[in-house]
Amino acid sequence: MNYNIIGKRIPKIDAGDRVSGKSVFGYDIELPGMLHGAILRTKYPSAIIKSIDISKAKKLAGVECVITADNVDTENLNFRKDHPVLKKGEVNCIRDEIAAVAAVSKEIAEKALELIEVTYVERTGIFDPLEALKKDAPQINKFSKGDNGNKNISEAFHYEHGDLAEEKKKSACIITRQYVLPKVTPTCLSPSSITANYSTVDDELTLYSSTQVPFLYQREISQVLKMDPSKIRVIQPIIGGGFGTKLDIHPFEPICALLSIKTGKPVQILFSRKEEFIHSAIRQSMVIDLTTGADKNGKFTFREVKIIKDNGAYTSWGVKTSFVIMQTFSSLYQVPACVYDADAVYTNNVFAGSIRGFGNPQATFALERNIDLMAEELGMDRAEIRLINANFPGEISGQGLEYHSCGHKPALEAVIKHSGYFTRNKKNNQGRYKRGIGLASMLHVGGGAKIYPSDGCGTTLKLDTYGYLTIITGSSEIGQGSETVLAMMAAEELGIDLKKIKVINTDTNVKPWDVGVHASRTSFVAGNSVLGALKKLKEKLSDKAAQLLNTSLEDLVFENGTIRSEKTGNSFKIDKIVRELHFKPPHELCEVSYYYEPSSEFQDKNFKGNVSSCYAFAAQAVEVEVDTLTGKVDVLHVYVGQDVGKVLNPLGLEGQIEGGVVMGLGYALSEEMIFENGYLRNFSFHDYKVPTARDIPEIHFYPIETHEKTGPYGAKGMAEAPLVPTAAAIANAVSNILGVEINSLPITPENVLKAISNKQSDQG
Amino acid sequence: MDFRTISPQTTEELLEAIKQNQGKHFRFGAGYTDLIPELEMQMENGLIVINLAKLKDSNFTSIFLSEDGIRIGALTTMTDVLSNKHLQKFPVLIEAVESFASVQIRSVATVGGNLCTASPAGDVSCALVALGAVSEILIANGQIRTVPLTEFFTGVKTTVLKKNELLRSVLIPHQKSAERILSGFIKIGNRNSMEIALASLAYHITTDKNGIITSAGTAVGSVAETIRYTESACEFLLGKNMDQLSEEDKETFADNVLKYANPISDIRASAWYRHQVLWNISKSIL
Repeated sequence: MNYNIIGKRIPKIDAGDRVSGKSVFGYDIELPGMLHGAILRTKYPSAIIKSIDISKAKKLAGVECVITADNVDTENLNFRKDHPVLKKGEVNCIRDEIAAVAAVSKEIAEKALELIEVTYVERTGIFDPLEALKKDAPQINKFSKGDNGNKNISEAFHYEHGDLAEEKKKSACIITRQYVLPKVTPTCLSPSSITANYSTVDDELTLYSSTQVPFLYQREISQVLKMDPSKIRVIQPIIGGGFGTKLDIHPFEPICALLSIKTGKPVQILFSRKEEFIHSAIRQSMVIDLTTGADKNGKFTFREVKIIKDNGAYTSWGVKTSFVIMQTFSSLYQVPACVYDADAVYTNNVFAGSIRGFGNPQATFALERNIDLMAEELGMDRAEIRLINANFPGEISGQGLEYHSCGHKPALEAVIKHSGYFTRNKKNNQGRYKRGIGLASMLHVGGGAKIYPSDGCGTTLKLDTYGYLTIITGSSEIGQGSETVLAMMAAEELGIDLKKIKVINTDTNVKPWDVGVHASRTSFVAGNSVLGALKKLKEKLSDKAAQLLNTSLEDLVFENGTIRSEKTGNSFKIDKIVRELHFKPPHELCEVSYYYEPSSEFQDKNFKGNVSSCYAFAAQAVEVEVDTLTGKVDVLHVYVGQDVGKVLNPLGLEGQIEGGVVMGLGYALSEEMIFENGYLRNFSFHDYKVPTARDIPEIHFYPIETHEKTGPYGAKGMAEAPLVPTAAAIANAVSNILGVEINSLPITPENVLKAISNKQSDQG
Repeated sequence: MDFRTISPQTTEELLEAIKQNQGKHFRFGAGYTDLIPELEMQMENGLIVINLAKLKDSNFTSIFLSEDGIRIGALTTMTDVLSNKHLQKFPVLIEAVESFASVQIRSVATVGGNLCTASPAGDVSCALVALGAVSEILIANGQIRTVPLTEFFTGVKTTVLKKNELLRSVLIPHQKSAERILSGFIKIGNRNSMEIALASLAYHITTDKNGIITSAGTAVGSVAETIRYTESACEFLLGKNMDQLSEEDKETFADNVLKYANPISDIRASAWYRHQVLWNISKSIL
């Protein structure tokens, strides 16, 4: 199939605004009469609050409102409704909000916070999930229902398929290891912000919010504030990075709304970088105990998994990562049996969130490390063991995932070939610097994920009498390039210039419903929605054009801003046809709406079922060089093979691949939030180490096109995937080169040198 | 962030500002790459900042050759150091500057700022200590006193500077003519730029035509309260033939470097790692 626009390198249509400083971010919003909000947070991660005295703060000139749990009426927040907006009686993690102030300036608001007197009785916090599981541990979250077998287990997942005992018997090799993964944060370049504007005239609350799920946000805010959802209007300014952090509502958002409701004035809360480090969503830490088996030929037999996740003090959507982790263990590579248990355990640490990959980097790390160890024990090549177990088209996994298209094996083959795995990896590796290549694969949803009553997206199209198209999409742009891809689809279908397409996607009062940006779903779900709407629009135009051109519908071609008859060669400009419809009978506008719901299904209570319309597969080969004197790992090349179904915009795709790999690189080598007794110790870019330009390797990308039948033009979701296998591949490379086992992250120079030193003392 | 600034343009105005404010709390600002983040963390009440960025005194702002050595003004930026032709013969200094922060920060951060911040992790400071540089301190009465950099630092973030003094320049004394130079800066960190050294080693060693070591300057950073000049390691090398050092010699040298290390464990690295890596890299340079 030849396309005019699809598959071409198209710069993002919003790029000009971004680089010229025209984009309006949350930080740029300023409303007339706006007040500034500030939040008093706890001094201790675990304490009883004896008293809060706000009288001095209220008297400070310029202060318009001070709120505590005592003078607001709210429901609890988040996934398990276990999170009070403002804390009363006790605090349970260092983020806890005790009071908030609105004042005429930020300085006065902050000064007022200093005047609030809180009396605490400090308690010994519980920061280790294993401690929290002990019988005599206190109940950390008093809203926990304790319905998961332990008062401190927030969510417990159990899954199984196949005959574990039988598969164990078949196994020639069984490997058991424990993997320890750290907390990390995506460090969105734009720190969190919100501006709330409540109108006392019509009781409408407008929230300028950087949420990535505006309709779920609207609904949850309404529950928390006990308001009519339709009275809440969510406007999304340009979002400077989401990566999943903006899936959950955080207390500062309803707090800002409350300050606005109480004062009747607009109120703004902006996070500093330090606040962003401490108080925004993070990727959770977990300990994974994994046992895997393979028969004498290297065919995988079973997986047995036990995971303890640090839930923190409250339960976010992030708790559902257990579900994605389960998918990797049950269905990445062919595996006849799997038994999986994951418990999310309350602690007095900061609560976990939802970050790109959603549990998958952790799961993939553990699984891919075990695969290398099995290969070693069986005396097999590490590439070979992956190839013979790779997923294949037509496979239905033990969990019920249906792979009607599957590029797993081609992805592996591409990176094995292009990295020179079989030639370069065998080099003599004596001396100070040692080089080698590590492999890893990944599986992720590629066609949405049905975890909410609807996984769909609505589109309204408006073609005006000048031939310009406005796409009003339910989906949101958080930098992932969806606006551009949707516009490309419309340009392709209607044969009009990309410059004549506008995308409107920021206002819940205007746009149709969409579940939000998550699960790498936007190009797939919103794309299919736009294509459905375009089909309706084209039908409308075609009917009129066929009439005007005196020909049949099949004879019409949309190109160069016209609709042309193939037979006669006669054509009409599209805008002319719109005018014919509008200004002459039938006097109709060229506007259509469409709602697309993916064909996926809900999983049953045993987590079986085809949760996504299709699945993305990827493999990475990473060449690293280890300095054995310092322990420093330099990543030289990352080879990415990824089943994207069909390349829609190579430029956007490469951007996502490179961004993902860099995120994976940070996770692998240097990023870690260091907590001591509940306090974060590294809350700046000095000490929280994201990769810099000089740390970035050559990234080579080989798209695998499997032409997914359910995808727009055959495309699949792709955006989370590139970060998922990177850390695993790097850990495999370093382990193999040095003959050590890297079973935790990050792989800092110190951890590498320690591994070398331990190996030497073992041998010595 | 609320503070008063005074921006002297001449040395006279500068000295006057220092004298006038002796009873008050003031700090000097030049490139502001340390001061602003520091004040953001902890604002100091009633602070006056004497802003040196407008000062027009070539003793402060330029790099020039003189009879006794190469003089680097305290207000010279890191970028100035990188592009100066006289300084290219000191790879230890150039490599230290290149490892320092980022291009953007190097274009405003000053050599004097790096020294006066007195961080045990100061990259450029460490290189200057290895080169045997001498600080030239301007006193409020207009006089100059000199202190070798080996004695300049008195602790974490503290120096010999008194309240009525500021650093004007540093002098790298002329070196003995050398047949061969072994000079460099090794910075240990988790990433390749924007890094605070977990440990660092600055070295500048010269030999005569027979390979005999005629001068040696080595200094370590991030492994003690201050940057340390590793005197006994330098003395150990003097007179030895660079090309005939045994494994044992190299290890003795590394052991001597380690004598000056008393590292702590913190969130960046453990004392164990700092010790181990410093020994490894010390041995590796020879």
